[in-house]
Amino acid sequence: MDDKKKSVVLEALTDFITFVSPYFFYFFSLENAWRLIPVCFGFFGLIMLIVYCAKIPINYNIRNLKVRYRTTLLTALAFILVTAVLTGLMGFINGLKRLAQATGNPSNVIVLSQGSTDEGISNLAFENMGDIAQQEGVQRKNDEPLCSRESYLVLSLPIAEPVPGSPTRRLLQVRGLFDPVASAEVHEFGLISGGEWFSEAGVRPNANPNKAPLVEVVLGQGIAKQLAGDRSQADKEKARNKEQLEVGDTIPLDTRELVVTGIMKTEGTTFDSEVWAKQSVIGPLLGKTNFTTLVLRATDPEQAQKLEDFFTGKDKDFKYEKSQVNAFTETNYYKSQSQTSIQLLIGTILVATVMGFGGVMGVMNTMFAAISQRVKDIGMLRLLGFSRWRILVSFLTESLLIALLGGLIGCVLGYLCNGLQATSIIGGGAGPGGKAVVFRVVVDWGVLGIGLTISMLMGFVGGLIPAMSAMRFKPLESLRG
Amino acid sequence: MTAKPIVRVSHVSRYFKRGSERVNVLNDLDLNVPEGQFLALMGPSGSGKTTLLNLIAGLDTPSEGEIWVGDRCVSTMNESQLARWRNEHVGFVFQFYHLLPVLSAYENVELPLLLLPLSAKKRREQAMTALELVGLKDRNSHLPSQLSGGQQQRVGIARAIVTDPTLIVADEPTGDLDAKSAHEILDLLGTLQRSLNKTILMVTHDLRAARRADRIQHLDKGRLVDQPDESLYEAG
Amino acid sequence: MKFFMLILKNLRRNMVRSLLTSAGIMVLVFVITLIWSILGFLDMATSEKAANFKGIVTEKWSIPSQLPFSYASTLENGAAREESDVKPIDSMTWQFFIGSVDKTNIGYSTFIFAFCMEPSKLLTMMDELDSLQPGPRATLDKAIKAMESNRQGIIVGQKRLAAIEKKVGDKIKVFGINYRDIELECEIVGTFPPGRYDNNTCINRDYLNASLDAFKAAKGRPHPLAEKTLNLVWVKVPTKDAFSKMSSQIDNSPMFAAPPVKIETASSGVSNFLAAYADLLMILRYLLAPAIIITLTVVISNAISISVRERRKEMAVLKVIGFQPNQIIFLVLGEAILLGVMAGAISSIGTYYFVNRVIGGIPFQIAFFSSFPVLDGALWWGAAIGFITSFAGSILPALSTRSIKVVDVFSKVA
Repeated sequence: MDDKKKSVVLEALTDFITFVSPYFFYFFSLENAWRLIPVCFGFFGLIMLIVYCAKIPINYNIRNLKVRYRTTLLTALAFILVTAVLTGLMGFINGLKRLAQATGNPSNVIVLSQGSTDEGISNLAFENMGDIAQQEGVQRKNDEPLCSRESYLVLSLPIAEPVPGSPTRRLLQVRGLFDPVASAEVHEFGLISGGEWFSEAGVRPNANPNKAPLVEVVLGQGIAKQLAGDRSQADKEKARNKEQLEVGDTIPLDTRELVVTGIMKTEGTTFDSEVWAKQSVIGPLLGKTNFTTLVLRATDPEQAQKLEDFFTGKDKDFKYEKSQVNAFTETNYYKSQSQTSIQLLIGTILVATVMGFGGVMGVMNTMFAAISQRVKDIGMLRLLGFSRWRILVSFLTESLLIALLGGLIGCVLGYLCNGLQATSIIGGGAGPGGKAVVFRVVVDWGVLGIGLTISMLMGFVGGLIPAMSAMRFKPLESLRG
Repeated sequence: MTAKPIVRVSHVSRYFKRGSERVNVLNDLDLNVPEGQFLALMGPSGSGKTTLLNLIAGLDTPSEGEIWVGDRCVSTMNESQLARWRNEHVGFVFQFYHLLPVLSAYENVELPLLLLPLSAKKRREQAMTALELVGLKDRNSHLPSQLSGGQQQRVGIARAIVTDPTLIVADEPTGDLDAKSAHEILDLLGTLQRSLNKTILMVTHDLRAARRADRIQHLDKGRLVDQPDESLYEAG
Repeated sequence: MKFFMLILKNLRRNMVRSLLTSAGIMVLVFVITLIWSILGFLDMATSEKAANFKGIVTEKWSIPSQLPFSYASTLENGAAREESDVKPIDSMTWQFFIGSVDKTNIGYSTFIFAFCMEPSKLLTMMDELDSLQPGPRATLDKAIKAMESNRQGIIVGQKRLAAIEKKVGDKIKVFGINYRDIELECEIVGTFPPGRYDNNTCINRDYLNASLDAFKAAKGRPHPLAEKTLNLVWVKVPTKDAFSKMSSQIDNSPMFAAPPVKIETASSGVSNFLAAYADLLMILRYLLAPAIIITLTVVISNAISISVRERRKEMAVLKVIGFQPNQIIFLVLGEAILLGVMAGAISSIGTYYFVNRVIGGIPFQIAFFSSFPVLDGALWWGAAIGFITSFAGSILPALSTRSIKVVDVFSKVA
């Protein structure tokens, strides 16, 4: 190739990449990836159409796949494994991402102390909270600003009868509330029927008069299930519901006991893993009397965004100056908590690339062998007048068929993970902090689309190079063998 | 030739089951081959000559009867004993040479010696001697693909004689060669027979090749026959 | 050994196939090496040691643990009151200081996460730093001496140093994030050896405590966190018995009423913290790693069965000239295993040197671990994975050579 030709090729290649890359990112974002499914089938359909119109003897390839069925199955197995593992993992990440997205009301604004990006290390002075809530844009009810003053803390609760080798304690996320009714209104969580919010006192008398009063708590559904599993064998047998804690059940906490007064409808949000109690009761009990979080309900999402800008000083002319705080709309806050899923996504992409590479090596071996066994056949086809590109398409179809088959089975296996309950941590990255969350694995069309596409890509790349080598055979020489 | 027989085939039958039907390939066959004889086996396709060769060379076992080679009864050995026996006592020459394409001429010849308890030096000596006998000592490092058909067959013969076997069996050794090369290969086999006193069993279609042997034995329908119909061999 | 050359030449016969297969093995072994290193490291961190194990004292209920600094001296003694009580062999206090070198812009390029502690404890109590080679140990010791003579001296991990674009000898101001209104003026006097502490900083605890006192003197009231500055106390005890004895000393001590404290072994502390990652680690251990190993087996099996099928005739010839069926099986297995072991070993040993020497660890954030070394086991993992997968992948194709009949050589005339 001379230099001029080379530069034309390079230019075309650059143009192609610039043209294609936005589509790549568009399609590979989980929201849009479902479109890849019609793309995959469309591509395969196109190839089949070419095969049909060009009268390529496709039966010959299918027969060959059948004759060498062991190799075909082994190769397909590699595709199945890669696709299944990939869709399972993507489903895990998708679940985490969905959780972070579903949590948070766009009209709510979270206010934390200056520099804090995580509730865990925030420390708000109580005296400043009143003024912050009085700002314009905050919704009012009965002439009072609608807001929730909260103290978020993580409790390390011993597990009754830990299995040897597994953790002996559970990290429990507790949210102490100043005014439960206001908080419920801000977060808009209802209780499952039969439950009630805690009383004004936040405690209720113990059946045993010699013991301290019970601390009233309300649980998310996810944590109610997990705590049910942490109980001792004896308690489990006595329990009315073995799967989940119910209203009236108690949780031991050192010398005190917590009593469940209600279960919140929190499924699909991070609050599903939280225990709510009255801050004036739980705070002193655990030695945490400060507040970490102030959640404001703005009149609408637009106002919420304005409040975020106002408190963080993004708007230079109009900024809050009485104290320095950090603020996010709730949606933005939980979006920033997806750091963990981004890291996992990067890890998954690495693993997928590597496994895909292994799969490509496998399919290349298969196709090279298939071709070397059929050198004479190819020579014969060429002599009969089949052009080079017809030979190429015919062999490419063979590997794409294996890829499609393996990819589809892999997707079905991956789909089996859909809905499994899993636990993980979400958070903003380094250091302590982050929230332990319970969520469900979501294998949706987007995830399946990515799985199928990667399988097809493997088949395409792994089939193309051997097919090109088949294309280059000279008919007479290959017949002589 | 009045030497004692080195190969004794007595009352040998070989039949295969094809479904419920029994196909007799060899029928109550007797054959003696004296030591040092060059015997050509001829016969039409399906006459059983290859089956007979397989039985004598220890690649197959008879359904009935006994085969003795030297002082060993070949027909009663198991597969593993046969493999060892073949390695030490039989040299094979094939129509399509069957050299390993990845090994050089020398390494191909050395191959059977790897199975014997010999030092590397001893193996080298023996393999080079064998190559010298077939006249390819200077080509020892060539790969089979770098040799002509006749040369490849010479390497095949060197591999057959390298273990100093009791018996050399050759299956159409000239079948894939042009007339000149075929002539040279047959010369070589004759020389080896005379100078090393080897017993050679050759299966062939080619009457000209067969005439180079000491004795021609014809087979038809699984039996030895004295008066063959020579028109069967016109192809050769 | 006599067959070694034969095996080697067979591998060279189809270079493309051998290269494709080994490339497949290498990348897959690379990922397994990373996964096993992370899992193995976490396993080591959570496995109970038999002797000289470390315990962590923290606030009983709350996370993060925040204790008054007045607890420090009692806890450093293991709350020993009687002559017969157990005292730790060694101990260390940790006070976390989270800060930023830029007050208005807090992010990756300004963030500082520091342990405030007694500098000398770096060499005796910190995991990994307590078992350094003489060279790096002397370097670190020099920096510690500098911290002791100048309490504003700090040691910063190499990655952190690069991130904030500073070097040893520079002076920096660190604005407190968890300690509001506390500003530390520090001088960087040294750095940690590459690895686990790449992103961490060590500050002399005397300097933090003095700064808090200065805050009180200037403002006339104590800092809001003044009574919550002690986050962790580490103690080292010789035996399990000593540990449980000290545990009851601490539980029964009247000193620690509000807030109450607990002691747990370092390993159980870590494993409790990792509990939230349990599912993730389970996926890595029981789904991903096995799936990769199976993929590997399938790739090898595919390659080997293809080459066996191509060579049936040759194998029949070998049988004719006297090779035993087992020797043929050995040749096939040998070919697969040689390839598997070589490619696997090259990959995992290469990963070991590349990741540990060049990159300085696997950058993966789990809990407070941000970087994982490739474990010494990687030196043999690759060979072992290669051996097992290639054996598993080639045993069936190898056994299939038994069906090759010697008589086929003669009867199949083209």
